[in-house]
Amino acid sequence: MLSKTNIAAAVLLSSLAALPAWAQMPDWSGVWVLEGGTLYDRTTASPPDARAGDPGARQHPPYTPEYEEKYKRNIAAVAADRFPDPITMCGVPVGFPRVMQVVDGYEFVVTPKQTWILTENGPNVVRVYTDGREHLSDDVIWPTYTGDSVGHWEGDTLVFTTIGLRGENGTIVDRTGAIISDQARGLTRLRKREDGRMEAQITIEDPVALTRPWTVTKTYRKLSGDVRIMDYACAENNRNPVDPVTGKTYTLGPDGKPIDVDAQKK
Amino acid sequence: MNRIISISLIVAAVSASSVLPIQPAVSHHSFAMFDRTKEVTLVGTVKSFEWTNPHSWLQVVVRDARGGTKEYSIEMGSPNTMSRSGWRKTTFKPGDRVTVKMNPMRDGAAGGAFVSAVNAEGKTLPLN
Repeated sequence: MLSKTNIAAAVLLSSLAALPAWAQMPDWSGVWVLEGGTLYDRTTASPPDARAGDPGARQHPPYTPEYEEKYKRNIAAVAADRFPDPITMCGVPVGFPRVMQVVDGYEFVVTPKQTWILTENGPNVVRVYTDGREHLSDDVIWPTYTGDSVGHWEGDTLVFTTIGLRGENGTIVDRTGAIISDQARGLTRLRKREDGRMEAQITIEDPVALTRPWTVTKTYRKLSGDVRIMDYACAENNRNPVDPVTGKTYTLGPDGKPIDVDAQKK
Repeated sequence: MNRIISISLIVAAVSASSVLPIQPAVSHHSFAMFDRTKEVTLVGTVKSFEWTNPHSWLQVVVRDARGGTKEYSIEMGSPNTMSRSGWRKTTFKPGDRVTVKMNPMRDGAAGGAFVSAVNAEGKTLPLN
């Protein structure tokens, strides 16, 4: 007959055996920064040196005719300074896949059961569950900025899928005005390359917005020295509020009043 | 009587590609209000330097030929990113004479996006 002590020992041993080995996890420690700018698909950018937010700057996603038209309208709105970046309102995440290409620092925190992608320019956290669980069930999941991510390890590559996105409702892919729909699904392969860079290969499948999968690769460079992630708060001293009616981004002087010419005339 | 300080206000059209490497880490809003194909050079005096999220701001007072003044609001990056590039909250101090290049606001308002700066000795900032 088993004693209580033996039972407790057996439970402890079985739980230890189930623990993934920390020592086998890849070392992705440190602070990383995005390379190549915040235009999402650099390989199809026009002009080739375009920056997200420049008037007329665009990329060429494999859009359906409907979404190509939407994109063109957004590009025109960007050029007219009437395409407010959703995060200008402060306080909302940038959303997936844009979370993989923001400025400031990144941390890729690997644990046996979850990997966290933390961005200094927040509030953004991608939690990738690797403990075998499935995506949220259909009767629970609802559209969110960052979505729901689950994955697994293929060697030292983290492979994860992301669903449950808001799509064009409150997120953009980048400041050229690129968008995807709430039916989009991401497949990301995240790894540290032999050259020391982190690489995220992101494939978006979207039966509404895209005619075929859209694959983009983003890379991140590790910073050296005494680098630490610091607090970031968009609302701390936001001198660029958006007019909720016109979508225009105002610029405030140090006294809190707009310096924009049209605001001066009012 | 105030001595009239010579000023230079130079508007130079430059190609977009030539300003690519010095894109500030502006992050939380559209940048469409700034004309990134143009650079304006301001010679003036630092009024204040806000070392703050989401963006730092440099306030520079420039005198015109008639002795009047105009204050410019120049948007920079977050302290997080700027500190990693050598900037300090003491890099600009009130009263410092500076020459600042910025991408001006499209509507002609007294503001812009920071491009570069040199101090009174002609040294490019930050010195770190």
